Amino acid sequence: MKYYAPTSVKAYFELQSKLDSSSAVVLAGGTDLMPRFERDLPLPDHLIDLKKLSELSSIVVSDEQIEIGALATIQGLHDHSIIQDEFVAIYEAAHEFAGAQIRHRGTIGGNICNASPAGDLLPPLYAFGAVLTLAGPSGKRQLPIHEFILGPGKTVLMDSELLVSITLERKQLQSQFQKVGLRQSMAISVVSLAFVWGENMQNLTIAIGAAAPTVVTLDSINPARLSNQIDLIDIAIAPIDDIRATAKYRIRVIKNLILEFLRQH
Amino acid sequence: MLNHDKPHAFKLSLTINGHLVEREIPTHLRLIDLLRDDLRLTGTKEVCGEGECGACTVILDGQTVNSCLILAVETHGRNITTIEGLADIGDLTQLQKSFEDQHAVQCGYCIPGMVLTGDKLLERNPHPSRDEVKYELSGNICRCTGYHKIVDAIESAGDGN
Repeated sequence: MKYYAPTSVKAYFELQSKLDSSSAVVLAGGTDLMPRFERDLPLPDHLIDLKKLSELSSIVVSDEQIEIGALATIQGLHDHSIIQDEFVAIYEAAHEFAGAQIRHRGTIGGNICNASPAGDLLPPLYAFGAVLTLAGPSGKRQLPIHEFILGPGKTVLMDSELLVSITLERKQLQSQFQKVGLRQSMAISVVSLAFVWGENMQNLTIAIGAAAPTVVTLDSINPARLSNQIDLIDIAIAPIDDIRATAKYRIRVIKNLILEFLRQH
Repeated sequence: MLNHDKPHAFKLSLTINGHLVEREIPTHLRLIDLLRDDLRLTGTKEVCGEGECGACTVILDGQTVNSCLILAVETHGRNITTIEGLADIGDLTQLQKSFEDQHAVQCGYCIPGMVLTGDKLLERNPHPSRDEVKYELSGNICRCTGYHKIVDAIESAGDGN
């Protein structure tokens, strides 16, 4: 296995164009990739470490938006004052994310590109309408996160592309993250929810994780109507039975968490 | 240990416990295997090998990380502290003494990771609450379930600062 650590995006694309994409794997924090190497994923012929692409690790704030580099760590998000103040659900998801050792390594880009149905940052990113910037050898393109993730482990990212940043509009919205796991921390979510809303509960959006192949987003919700017709949730979600919980339990927990949220607001 | 049929050598240079270490290693060597097998720094333990338990915790450029989830090549040019490097040889830090005083060690396997995690917490927050200690330790599992005394040890070391 040859190891490469390019120091600029330009150098990355030059390297990448020379390698056969089927024999190359990119490495960011490694917190998902390394356990897969341990389990059953064969080591590739070429491993490209992205961590020296310092242009992808910064978090840039302007008046209208915050642009988070794909290599920003979970701890970096957690410690950022704008995330803490204006994107509370992202801060809360980062706070409950695994343990310190994983938060120090795991990246927001990795959490998105792995596209796990239980990825904890995903519901808040969907609820805030995160826009992703992808770079390819011939330029950049942008798309909303819900168009990027297709299913468990599946995204529209092409072999020649790199997720470079995640952009959030600073709309001064309120938000909350809720997670149910089998243990308070380090546990993979049984369900996770992000609530995002404006003044007077206007434009309530609920994003539900671990309840379908990808995050399910319900937007422009009328809170009073939803609390009277909570069973409408059944149409939107499609949870599975797995080692952590049954589908029936997941549906019940999701409804109870939503009802509890609506009662409190 | 990761196995690979096409090993590739890499000239690694990094600082471990204040000493410059230079080694030719295969690129698929994990950091924990470099520490334990090549350098005989066996204070760092491996239990789960997949980043769940924190027994393999080391400090990489000031942050706790799981050395089972990192390839040694990723640490080229960087700075690592293991449990062996926390205090001078023959000496103990105040936190390590506190683990002794509180009888916080049962089988001992998780303790190097617990001490390093506690050390970084106290550096950032010299007087953590009990809940803050518990939160910080969420990535470290004690299979003897001796958490009370471990939290006591970190909390009381904080009080003493």
